[in-house]
Amino acid sequence: MNNKELIASMAVKMNAPQSLVAVLLETTVATCTELLVNEKIIGFQSFGNFEVRKKDERLSVHPSTQVRTLIPPKLVVNFKQSNILKEKLKDIPHHD
Amino acid sequence: MIKEKISSQEIIDLIASKASVSKRAAEEFLKVMIASVEEGLLAGEIVKIKNFGTFKPQWNEPRKSVNVQTGAEIKIAGYYKVVFVPDTALKEQVNEPFAHLEPVELDVETKKDELVDEPELVSDPLRIFNEQASEIKDLISEIQALSSNPASIISEEENIKKNIIEEEKIHEIVQKDQVLDQPNKGADLTLIEEYESEQPEYLQDSSAEVIETAVKTKLNPSDSKENQLFSELPATPYLENIKSTKKRKVWIWVLLILFLITGFGSGFYYFYTSNYEYPKKYSINEISENISISEMINSISKWFTPAEKPTVVPVKVVIPKDINDYDSISESKPVDSLQILFENPRVYKGFIASERISAGSRLTIMSKRYYGNKDFWVYIYEANKERISNPDNIAIGTLVRIPKLDSRLIDATNPRCLEKAKELHDIYIK
Repeated sequence: MNNKELIASMAVKMNAPQSLVAVLLETTVATCTELLVNEKIIGFQSFGNFEVRKKDERLSVHPSTQVRTLIPPKLVVNFKQSNILKEKLKDIPHHD
Repeated sequence: MIKEKISSQEIIDLIASKASVSKRAAEEFLKVMIASVEEGLLAGEIVKIKNFGTFKPQWNEPRKSVNVQTGAEIKIAGYYKVVFVPDTALKEQVNEPFAHLEPVELDVETKKDELVDEPELVSDPLRIFNEQASEIKDLISEIQALSSNPASIISEEENIKKNIIEEEKIHEIVQKDQVLDQPNKGADLTLIEEYESEQPEYLQDSSAEVIETAVKTKLNPSDSKENQLFSELPATPYLENIKSTKKRKVWIWVLLILFLITGFGSGFYYFYTSNYEYPKKYSINEISENISISEMINSISKWFTPAEKPTVVPVKVVIPKDINDYDSISESKPVDSLQILFENPRVYKGFIASERISAGSRLTIMSKRYYGNKDFWVYIYEANKERISNPDNIAIGTLVRIPKLDSRLIDATNPRCLEKAKELHDIYIK
């Protein structure tokens, strides 16, 4: 499901024009991004938490050339699913 | 550092104020958003939100574990887990404080000797240049060694001769005091001659002969023993040597020039390719990327103008050609009245008929009867949503009202209408 399909399905559910849904989605994304940049945890009940975590600097060694490289620290967005969502996901049948 | 946790309520407030909508609308929107994402995930789909990231269900294989207390084996069943991959835009914004940092290679100096750093060889034109220069230097020194060898032999030879001459001189001085001036002068002359011939013209055969003759003439008045010694000296092999080195030298010079040309050529090539060609290449890449991106966007936008979707193709075959022409016209302006009609929610006010559901009646059949195409059943469903919980299984006896629809919306000859109906169908029937 891509962005467009998501908007379409949301528009049907909300019974609102797609343009409005698109605008709302954009603002939501912008708000969440801003909050994450300010190092806040965003918690959606029943869905999960978004959090910015700091990955410390580390030393990586190239296995074949033995070149040691210092990887700088970075901030990454981490998503932790809620237990409610986890339970729901258990219902998906696995076919491989 | 304790991070502040923002609850959904606070986010709702923020969205409401930012998008200037009511809090209720924002709340509903957020609920629907989460529900939609969840729905997509539960259907085993990847859900992508533009500029935010991608949610995807990931299968975790079942595995065995051990109970720490009892040591009994436990089997952990496989399960799905939601994985979130942030979009590049989000990643970059979040990582802004550390964006200036780049990976650094450590202790390059100490490792350099041990390592075969091929990438540096390629990347450093100066290095290549230096190597070539040193090669050429080696060559030159070799050549010099080759060419100076015979010369040194000759000079040694001459030194010996000189020594002998000087000895002679002493002899002469001792023996013939009266004729002291003459041989001295002669010796000086020969010495000068020798030096002249020795320095630049050791290559000339004649000069060697001159030396020979000079020495011989000089030696004439001296002892026969010494004369013999000198006549025994192998003069001709040296001459041949000189000749062969002359030939060799010409060849070496030719080789040297060739080496220099190739060396400079390759040096310049590397220099220019590394300094001037790369930006060009990058710019070409960028252009091609731009093109490909624009092409992608084009193709994507084409993909999403409903008339182009492949699902409509079978329908297209049925419809006459002039409608295809109409399609191309409508494609050229994507945002038209039909588009607006599609995107806005439909309001059902007028109804043309109402039917009671009986065994065997289908919404699609009603749609076919009233609108001329079975695909438009979705609109009947939309109008009766509150009464029908599952469009696939409607309770018998339900009164279904057939809404009056905009004729543009149910134009069975327009593939865009069929496309829209199909889209709605996909949303309602999971």
